Amino acid sequence: MGVFRFSRKQLGIPYAVFLICFVAAPLLVIIYYAFTNGEGRFTLGNLTGFFTSPYTIGTLAYSFAIAVATTCVCLLLAYPIAYILARSRWKAKSVVIVMFVMPMWINFTLRITALKEILTVIEGNLAFHPFLNTIIGMTYDFLPFMILPMYTTLLKLDQSLLEAAADLGADPFQVFLKVTLPLSVPGIISGVVMVFLPSMTNYVVLDMLYNSTYIMGSLIGSYFSAYDWHNGSMIALILLLIILVFTLVTDRYADEDAGNRGGALL
Amino acid sequence: MKTKKLRAAALCLAGTVLLGFACPRAAAASARKDDEPVTLRVCSWEEYIDLGDWDEEELIELDNGAEIFGEDALYREFEQWYYDTYGKQVRVEYSCFGTNEDLYNQLTLGDTYDLVCPSDYMIMKLMAEGALEPYSESFFDRENEENYYINCVSPYIAKVFAENEINGESWDRYAAGYMWGVTGVLYNPELMTEEEASTWAVFDNPKFFRQITLKDNVRDTYFSTLGYLRQKELMDETFRSAADYHEKLGDMMNDVSPETIDEVEELLGHIMGNIYALETDSGKADMVTGKIAANYQWSGDAVYAMDQAEEDGVYLQFAVPEECTNLWFDGWVMLKAGIGDDTEKKQAAEAFVNFLSIPENAVRNMYYIGYTSAISGGDDDTVFSYLNWCYGAEDDEEDAVDYPVGYFFSEDGDDESYTVHASAEQIGRQLYTQYPSQEVISRAAVMGYFDETQTHNINQMWINVRCLDVRDIPLWCWLLALCAVIAAAAAAVVYRKNHTLE
Repeated sequence: MGVFRFSRKQLGIPYAVFLICFVAAPLLVIIYYAFTNGEGRFTLGNLTGFFTSPYTIGTLAYSFAIAVATTCVCLLLAYPIAYILARSRWKAKSVVIVMFVMPMWINFTLRITALKEILTVIEGNLAFHPFLNTIIGMTYDFLPFMILPMYTTLLKLDQSLLEAAADLGADPFQVFLKVTLPLSVPGIISGVVMVFLPSMTNYVVLDMLYNSTYIMGSLIGSYFSAYDWHNGSMIALILLLIILVFTLVTDRYADEDAGNRGGALL
Repeated sequence: MKTKKLRAAALCLAGTVLLGFACPRAAAASARKDDEPVTLRVCSWEEYIDLGDWDEEELIELDNGAEIFGEDALYREFEQWYYDTYGKQVRVEYSCFGTNEDLYNQLTLGDTYDLVCPSDYMIMKLMAEGALEPYSESFFDRENEENYYINCVSPYIAKVFAENEINGESWDRYAAGYMWGVTGVLYNPELMTEEEASTWAVFDNPKFFRQITLKDNVRDTYFSTLGYLRQKELMDETFRSAADYHEKLGDMMNDVSPETIDEVEELLGHIMGNIYALETDSGKADMVTGKIAANYQWSGDAVYAMDQAEEDGVYLQFAVPEECTNLWFDGWVMLKAGIGDDTEKKQAAEAFVNFLSIPENAVRNMYYIGYTSAISGGDDDTVFSYLNWCYGAEDDEEDAVDYPVGYFFSEDGDDESYTVHASAEQIGRQLYTQYPSQEVISRAAVMGYFDETQTHNINQMWINVRCLDVRDIPLWCWLLALCAVIAAAAAAVVYRKNHTLE
């Protein structure tokens, strides 16, 4: 009779089961639907349909525009904050960080509901600026995801490198541009990944802030609710491919800085 | 080693997939033992049944002596009532769905229910697909006092259910009416006149630029836009006075030919440039906070919104467009997949519908959810008394008016005994919304279900309207995007160049 021996590998079993049930199996179903038609026969029609319709391409462009704008705004807002927080020796620093993280403890639909009222007070009529409102809503939603990774990277930054640069005659601006900024790229990359991809599909923000234009997420949803699993799955698959390409590209930048190779840069 | 692992993974995967597909079916197929209580799986709209737990001061004391109070959720009380009436145990599993499409998707994906409450067109779709179990003969036996549905349903609703057919069979064999109403425009009379609100053209009225919402729902929006598109014909006197007016109206409002869809698409694109937004649920609150002046609304939700707004001191009104209105129903249907050959279960399902049709329970539902029950009460005047309790004018009120609702309560539409003596302000408000006037009913059309191609076409129309057309993107946007790409590429190149200095 074999004796059951516990090994560390077995700790991974629950996660493997989870992965198979909720990632691998659904993915196969999506692929199946994406390449079949209503009669269950193989077709590439869904794929060509996506790239030939001006409406789906327009939706892709609109989603990209929202994601790029949100990421840029988040980046511009988050970097100075992360920089100041990481560099300051202020004792109450952790309180400020908690203040930035705190919104993440509250459900985002509640926060967007509150934001809606604030924006109405400021703008009067939300319907005049749907794109702007969407960017504001997304930024509000995703800002903590941008601040935290950048803050962690900047916090780990070796102070002696900055001192060395200053000793060698670099002025503060040069120190920032030549040392701090390149060394914080991994933080920026992970922040960008965490903001860019979700904001392409987070259609709840658009719905709640009265932007009636579809983005990728809402387009998939609209096909699914019309029982059109095939076109919906194809769009989901295309979105997945975009995410894959995006991750591969950003990984190349993030990986090279893994480990503490910063010194070599100088 | 590797192949072994792969095989194990494949087995695992196949196992999960098989399990996922097989489980609900296996559960449905397993027969119930005789001594076990029947389990009735009911699925209905959210917030669509009285859940009880009323405050003591909410007790409704009607003129006819009835005292109505919601103690417990109606489906819980049904279990006791069923035991008291039939001496059998039943257990109700009550769950909810969000939209008709969600329900349909759940059914196709293998969820089994015994009794569900979809809207008119979904009932028709399920009927056409042969998914529904007809009500038994005994359900329609007026002699049996426990048959509350057939004895208490409004003659008007019964007539509509008898007249509408799918594949040569009328609805009433398969569906029992639950709630009904019309669609129209909920508006704030301080910002909009009744005349302005009483047309489907209101959504295109530049005076209310960015101040009105439409429903985020292709069927409702299609109906209202089609009503606006065909305004001239619909308002034409000869068209209206024709003998086959009703039939023609129904045909016109169910027109989903490709040409008509194209016309609607173009007009809707124009309307989208004028409205505030499309909404599913936020419109009611936005009326109260004053974000919008009007919104497209189902009568039941309009009553609810008016009630809520009054608590905040805002008085809203409801107008039904002069062109036409969409008469809608939600009804209880039994599913073949759930009921099967189980006669006990079928009996319980029919009893559940009868229990909800007891006038007291119909009133409890109306009080709780604000919608209009399909139950008029038959010989029992509880529902009519409730109407008087809600809307009846005080005896000394001077500007009271008579509001006839005979068409709903009696076989003879002109029966004057069913007239609510209401305060004048109720006209255009809750009473008018909950029980539209005979005149409104005369221009009401049922919107049927569409076949696969037609559904696909109107859904495609909807997607086209909602999506940004790539051809509409102005040149400066493309230039900006080009600049952004160049800037990003340049940054990457510079970064990599610095990086390889080592």
